[in-house]
Amino acid sequence: MAETTDARTERATNGTRRVPPAEGTTPVAPTGQSRAAAAQSGTVAARTHAWFTPWLLCLPAIVFLAAFNLWPSANTVFLAFTNVRPLSGGELVGLANFERMLTDDQLATALVNSIVYMLVCLPFLLLVPLALALLVEKKLPGIAFFRTAFYTPVVASAVVVALIWGWMLDDRGVINGMALRLGVVSEAIPFLTDRWLVLFSAISLTVWKGLGYYMIIYLSALGGVGRELHEAAAVDGASAWRRFWSVTVPGVRNTMLLVAVLITVSALRVFSELFVLTNGTGGIGGRDVSVVFLIQMYARGFSGNLGYASALSILLFLITLGPLLLIARINRKGA
Amino acid sequence: MKHSHSRIGAGLAALAVGVSLTGCALDGAGGTGSTPEDSVDASGEVTGEVSLQTWALKPNFTEYVEGVIDAFEQEYPGTTVTWLDQPGEGYSEKVLSQASAGELPDVTNLPPDFALALAREGMLLDLEGVDDELESTYVAGGLGAYQYAGIEGTFGYPWYLNTDVNYWNSEILEAGGLDPQDAPTSLDELIEQARTLEAATGGKQYLMSRKPGLGDFAAEGVAILDEDGTEFVFNTPEAVALLDTYRDAYAEGLMPQDVLTDAYLGNSQLFTEGKVGWSTGGGNFIAGVLENNPSLEGKIVPSPAMGTPPLYVQGVSVSKSSKNVPAAIALARFLTNAENQEAFAKEVPGIFPSTIASQENPEFAESDGTPAQDAKVMAFTSLTEAQVLQPVEVTEAMSTVVNQQIAAAISGEVTSQQALDTAVERCNELLSQ
Repeated sequence: MAETTDARTERATNGTRRVPPAEGTTPVAPTGQSRAAAAQSGTVAARTHAWFTPWLLCLPAIVFLAAFNLWPSANTVFLAFTNVRPLSGGELVGLANFERMLTDDQLATALVNSIVYMLVCLPFLLLVPLALALLVEKKLPGIAFFRTAFYTPVVASAVVVALIWGWMLDDRGVINGMALRLGVVSEAIPFLTDRWLVLFSAISLTVWKGLGYYMIIYLSALGGVGRELHEAAAVDGASAWRRFWSVTVPGVRNTMLLVAVLITVSALRVFSELFVLTNGTGGIGGRDVSVVFLIQMYARGFSGNLGYASALSILLFLITLGPLLLIARINRKGA
Repeated sequence: MKHSHSRIGAGLAALAVGVSLTGCALDGAGGTGSTPEDSVDASGEVTGEVSLQTWALKPNFTEYVEGVIDAFEQEYPGTTVTWLDQPGEGYSEKVLSQASAGELPDVTNLPPDFALALAREGMLLDLEGVDDELESTYVAGGLGAYQYAGIEGTFGYPWYLNTDVNYWNSEILEAGGLDPQDAPTSLDELIEQARTLEAATGGKQYLMSRKPGLGDFAAEGVAILDEDGTEFVFNTPEAVALLDTYRDAYAEGLMPQDVLTDAYLGNSQLFTEGKVGWSTGGGNFIAGVLENNPSLEGKIVPSPAMGTPPLYVQGVSVSKSSKNVPAAIALARFLTNAENQEAFAKEVPGIFPSTIASQENPEFAESDGTPAQDAKVMAFTSLTEAQVLQPVEVTEAMSTVVNQQIAAAISGEVTSQQALDTAVERCNELLSQ
């Protein structure tokens, strides 16, 4: 191929008529005198390219990142030290917003709720999808139906799903109706009015909706675990449980860490489930609010307190960072 | 080269942070720089372009609004009205973004609480300075909704008014041995009848299906804000007693559990479905109910609101940064004059004109004896004593806090006094920020 190209370019530069490269072929490199001349200008061009070409190529991404990530993030940090309102502006107030957090009862409640949410969601969404993936990984007739069934909740809107769960769980809903009719309970279970039952109802919803998503991630990871390792272990007499611990788990270990990170971040940022199940009230006495719920509550409307809401955003960011660093540390140790 | 890349990266990051820090508008988002003290020249010929923004009037009332605009343009040759209609959802966010960008239309439909936020920032025209006929044209309650404690002036032309009337399902009440013609006129009577119905139906029918709000306290004479509008004061013994009454009713099983989180379908929806015996609604409520559930024909009995009737006001405000103030004022006045308001009230039977001249209009004060017409007359006649019950200073965040605490008290988690003290404390914190 290189020889052919050289031959063609030689003809092109020495001949009377310059032949343009055929469409779709490799561009012709300059040769002979032209090559020398081109080399001189090419050096300049190469240097110039080395300078701005990569940046030019990255420019759209950089602009996008700056406009939609860096700028809002930096602005949030700045706003956290102000008492800015949407219409009236404000002034720098130093650490006042952070000091206010120390005496904010609702924030303490929200932190407890968000952390409980994360701690309960994490094991369920880390392990159950793996078990499901192992079940539906088998090539059995009709297995595609189960894969689809487990994945279906993922494509449903979180708000719509939460509304449906709300109707099912209210005191005249399907669940209470059945429980009362069967005589399991004598009065309706307060799924939507008891502080902890609301929280665990929302957690159940998150787990149910997330199973399919993480199952798909595990399925792709399981595809990378060598069948020969399982076969070799089986030949050596390892039990199914032993093969799971010694072959499957190490094979999907990195995926488990990734899943753990994703669950941690999304659980700490929970909003839709709690908002819809409590109909925007945050539960009785506001005891089922999450940190994002509080941010929304303070930032919304004509009189929104953007300064305090920004400070809460920074707090949430720092809280999210903690578990992520821990997982990264575990990953490094494991490696 | 590596160092060069690092420098560029660091430079970009510094630029992003720098731009963000310098770009943050600490001087307010309005961009108009106007203050309440700024004077506006409202004199001059009514001509040129003027914009009008309404809230969810398309497509149901397109013909009406276009008719008003055509009539205005004929009345004032040389004027051109640009009509913008915003969807029902997210209107406050839309107005907020327009105000932040300094792009508020010349004439905008703003309920009193939206107008307050803009008036505080000097974005709305004080109509007292440019219109001498406000008090002789509009009812006091309508104008009062656009006059705020601590801010001098009137910041909106009242457009249309509404209030609430009680509605009773005669079939359900009679099933409980109650007389729908002898409907409750107070909270105590309501609870008594709810108890009777509960006993007669074995707890299968509810009469009460909502928890109280600030409006209910105000309707019973409890002051929500002090006179200066600077402090919430609704944690009084009267308010505690009222909340205790609801708490006891809930404990007695006279209200459904989910009423605490408002997850229950709401009393008007359940009333429409024929599942509860009582609801409140505007003067045209019966028409809406029958449209969705014709089987309730002849089974709905209206009665006047308990306590002080609530007054709901819609109005239009003029932007202080309008480039055509004379035309904007003329358009706002034209839209809210007696003739156009009465025509609008005929299009939407549940609403009533805010003009003094319309209060004697026999069409609103006479009934043909049907329950729907009786309800309309009850609503219309009660407007004279109706008041804006929930102060416009109450923001969404405050409403959420109050709602949470009332639910906590009714469920018995905290005492009524504790709940109201907490609600007042948090509302005052929010008010002072």
